[in-house]
Amino acid sequence: MNRTACARLIHDRLGPDDLVVAGLGATGNAWQAVGPRNLTYYASDPMGIWPAVALGLALARPERRVMLLEGDGDLTMNLQSLVTIASAAPSNLRIVVFYDATYASIGRHRLPGADRLSLATIARGAGLPWVGEARTVEEAGAQFDVLLARPGPGLLAAHLEDDPSPDTPPGPWSQVEERALFMRRLAGEL
Amino acid sequence: MAPAALILQHLKNAGITLVASLPDRWLGELIERLDADPEITHVRLAREDDGVGVCAGAYLGGRKAALVCQNAGVLLAANALAGLAHHHQIPFLVLAAMRGAFDDGFYYQMYKGRVTIPVLQGLGLPHWVVEGPEHFPLIEQGARQAFFSRLPVVLLLRRRALVAEPGTPP
Repeated sequence: MNRTACARLIHDRLGPDDLVVAGLGATGNAWQAVGPRNLTYYASDPMGIWPAVALGLALARPERRVMLLEGDGDLTMNLQSLVTIASAAPSNLRIVVFYDATYASIGRHRLPGADRLSLATIARGAGLPWVGEARTVEEAGAQFDVLLARPGPGLLAAHLEDDPSPDTPPGPWSQVEERALFMRRLAGEL
Repeated sequence: MAPAALILQHLKNAGITLVASLPDRWLGELIERLDADPEITHVRLAREDDGVGVCAGAYLGGRKAALVCQNAGVLLAANALAGLAHHHQIPFLVLAAMRGAFDDGFYYQMYKGRVTIPVLQGLGLPHWVVEGPEHFPLIEQGARQAFFSRLPVVLLLRRRALVAEPGTPP
């Protein structure tokens, strides 16, 4: 399964009211590539903080399902965020980890411990009520359905093949402008 | 009324409904009150920069939030404060125990008292020192400054603003 196929599986399963927080670099690029319909907040630096942002958004808007598309490097940088998420336990939060064991956006350097690391095991140990893993498109499709059907917070580690990530240039709008647009759309003003 | 009870009331007056916290000895009573209050969504953090993320996410969702931690947590969260809160212009209030000044009694706290304000100045974040309960209106005023500025505002609380009992070890 490549990154874009994984993003497409998510895209095909989300409802129109679902909110997405899309991770840095390759993860967000893959989400952008599938033409998302969902209101999406795109990450910037600092790396590692986006699980906490998704948690805050999920707690602030309990009536909306929040999907965090999370890079494996980003999550590995701040593993304790899983502990905080499991503790706060918002039932509307779901996480998909795009796992290829590399820092894909910056030259595909290997993650530390990449040959032995299991983010799914860490997520279970953090106390998340549902954790799944998928290695093929077929497995991922079935597991996404479970992820969405079970109450959150849940996490699916989607194992990806070695997949080049194009280095896309920045878009026309700054994070401040994108942030204001996101909030106004969420408030129903736009 | 105990300082912690007053602080909680001022936070509510400021419209803050979500608080992320990580404990400090001086913050114990405040955190217990936050956790017990049904009007506050309280998030227990494992690391303070996650609190910057939680407060930012809450603001994206339309809620006003605060981060409660020690000043060492503000130092740790410097990159998140700059890269997320500053760069995306996301406001929230930070209440930080100002460890390491004249009112502290531990060698290992002292560096925090020396470096916190210079770091906040370097980050370009507004900050005010809360000497005691007489300064608690700064909680509403600081929150107002934060939300009008679209920036975090940091309140640095002296021991007297957080701990009521005169005989408590520092």
